Amino acid sequence: MGNKKGRIFAILALAILLVAGLAACGSGGKNGGNSSGASGASGGSGESGNSGSGGSGGNAGGDSGKQVTLDFVWFTDGIEGEVMKAIIKDYEAENPNVKINLVEVAYSDLSTKLRTMIAGGKPPALARVTDTGYYKNQALVLDDYIGDQESFTSQFMDSIKPYYVMDGKVIAVPMDVTANGLIYNKTLFDKAGVQVPQSPDEVWTWDEFTAALRQVMEKGGAKYGLVWDFTPHRYSTLLYQFGGSIFNEDGTAAAINSEAGVKALEYFVKLHKDGIIPESVWLGGENPNNLFRTGTVAAHLAGNWMLSNYQEITEFEWGVTYMPKAERRSSVPGGKYVMAFKGSGVEDEAAKFLQYLSSKEVNGRYCQESLFISPRKDNAQLDYTFGKEMFEIFSDELANTPAEAANDWSRQDLVTQFTTDLRNFIVEAVTEHATPQEAMDKAAALINDIIASSN
Amino acid sequence: MRPRAYVPYLFLLPNLLIFSVFIVFPALFGIVYSFHKYDGLNPMEYVGFDNYAALLRSSEFWDVMRRTFVYVLTAVPLIFAGALLIAMMLVQELRGKALFRAVFYWPVMVSFIIVGLTWKWILGDSFGVVNYLLELAGLEPIKWLSDPVNAKMSVIVATLWSRVGFYMVLFISGLQSIPQDYYEAAKIDGASRLRSFFSVTLPLLKPTSLLVLILAVIEAFKQYPLMMALTGGGPGKATTNIVQYVYQTGFIKTQLGMASAMSVVLFLIIAVFTVVQFRLTKGGAIE
Repeated sequence: MGNKKGRIFAILALAILLVAGLAACGSGGKNGGNSSGASGASGGSGESGNSGSGGSGGNAGGDSGKQVTLDFVWFTDGIEGEVMKAIIKDYEAENPNVKINLVEVAYSDLSTKLRTMIAGGKPPALARVTDTGYYKNQALVLDDYIGDQESFTSQFMDSIKPYYVMDGKVIAVPMDVTANGLIYNKTLFDKAGVQVPQSPDEVWTWDEFTAALRQVMEKGGAKYGLVWDFTPHRYSTLLYQFGGSIFNEDGTAAAINSEAGVKALEYFVKLHKDGIIPESVWLGGENPNNLFRTGTVAAHLAGNWMLSNYQEITEFEWGVTYMPKAERRSSVPGGKYVMAFKGSGVEDEAAKFLQYLSSKEVNGRYCQESLFISPRKDNAQLDYTFGKEMFEIFSDELANTPAEAANDWSRQDLVTQFTTDLRNFIVEAVTEHATPQEAMDKAAALINDIIASSN
Repeated sequence: MRPRAYVPYLFLLPNLLIFSVFIVFPALFGIVYSFHKYDGLNPMEYVGFDNYAALLRSSEFWDVMRRTFVYVLTAVPLIFAGALLIAMMLVQELRGKALFRAVFYWPVMVSFIIVGLTWKWILGDSFGVVNYLLELAGLEPIKWLSDPVNAKMSVIVATLWSRVGFYMVLFISGLQSIPQDYYEAAKIDGASRLRSFFSVTLPLLKPTSLLVLILAVIEAFKQYPLMMALTGGGPGKATTNIVQYVYQTGFIKTQLGMASAMSVVLFLIIAVFTVVQFRLTKGGAIE
């Protein structure tokens, strides 16, 4: 009898343990689907390494009556998810028949999730995207809803037009713009007695900047001079500053192996060889954010999306300054857009929400609270709670960016096909397995192949 | 009451269903995709054997395959030898035998991504533990991860650390199933320890050895998360193996048809390897 009782007890205990375990996992999963780690190497439009849990699929509310549900696929780098939730709440209060369901995914899962939803015949009502060009055939054309195209697009910065107007049609609405820029370690610079440019007129040349970094390394005690995100997007900042570009003006041929393009790569290789840029980032996969946070790096060439990430640094002082120029100044514009999709069943309501989001007040509120740069010309001076001067520097960088930058990076249907290879070619030059000319010639050949096969 | 003939099949049914839905059907879809050009979004285009032709002509693909083969041919013998060695030591009557077995098995339970990240923190060039200790001792830091050859070695070390425990368990059970009589007979005949290893242990271990070899080879061919977490496939492409290449082709370049073709080729290669191993060792039968 004792044996049997013991066994029943053991089975009961095991069953309870299992159920408790399942319940714990279950509730964990529900809160799971949220923000991508802010420590991803290139928060904005780069390739992030972390995998998040997917959000729920949801259905795009099929009620033919008043009540509609909009599924909004969203990813978050910092705090903008919370800001958007508050905005949605206000919109739902004003429009009681509309419910917006924010489906949060990690940035690295965004593309896969959207493609799966679209391929499965159930596109979401809305999605926050960076690669607008990739979805241009599936996006809802907004021209019917926005009135005159010219007067709509003239509200936003001209440099980003290629990102949301494709084949003459408006396919998305700009939410915020990102700019590449230079974040530097103020404590180390002060220790070395090196001054940073105080105004756009005092911008360094690259040689002057390299000399300044050397001084910070010798006198300020910086272990490394400059860390550079491991993406072609960030590399292209140097390319444009030297006067080059990836494509030619109408995108019919590669221009990356022009004289300027090769010079840019030669300089990049030299920065590695001279020890200004540590090899561990582009060759060893080390994360530049982590390196900068240790306080032993003089400067980080990143972008404005890092501001809310670095906000919490207390061990040393940091700031933003103007990037150096070679032939010309340049940053690389990027940004986040919200797109509505065809075939979701709720296109009208989705378009209405898009117009709400892009209005001056709502967009201004969104960018101000999330610490983003607004794409609207009339929101150029937002009242940020943190880093106001820094934003002004980033806006100035964008204002001094040539058109080639947006022209190149808006061609997302082509760019995704060679971005990994371009990165590998640059690495070949850095490791001296190819000369910069050879590396860029190979890149140009590949790009021309891709252009040819896409026509 | 005699069980009816179909009862066993009923027991097999659930697993068969799950296996079909999650493994067999996607594999079949993959084969279908390999004959099309598909970017995941716009409709598929039938291209016949074009993907395969492009693949066989692509020097990049053969580079990746070559690197994968080198990795497999280096890692598998080391895993085999290491696991067998440790198993032989832990089959004897040692104090703390159970503790050692647990210690060697523990890395197996750590997911590959964590293994990769941990070794990255240890071997990281700028801020890794090893380089820090080297600098403290006044030596030059070594470029563990940014030099191509060192990066490959680091990957192999991390793989060994993480997998040896698993095969050690298989070998332990294999060794324990060898009857002691054979060893005694060998000793009586005057065989040295080494001789009895080659004449008694290895032949009688054949079924286990075959199993270990097949599993290790398949796993080494499919290895991806560990390298991704440790080196990201770098420096450049030095540690980019076939599965990572398939992922890059399929999901970053959005060439799903080509990626499917590569997967089919990988499947065929692994299948050939397995069949050859099976035949060579006569199915693990001990003659």
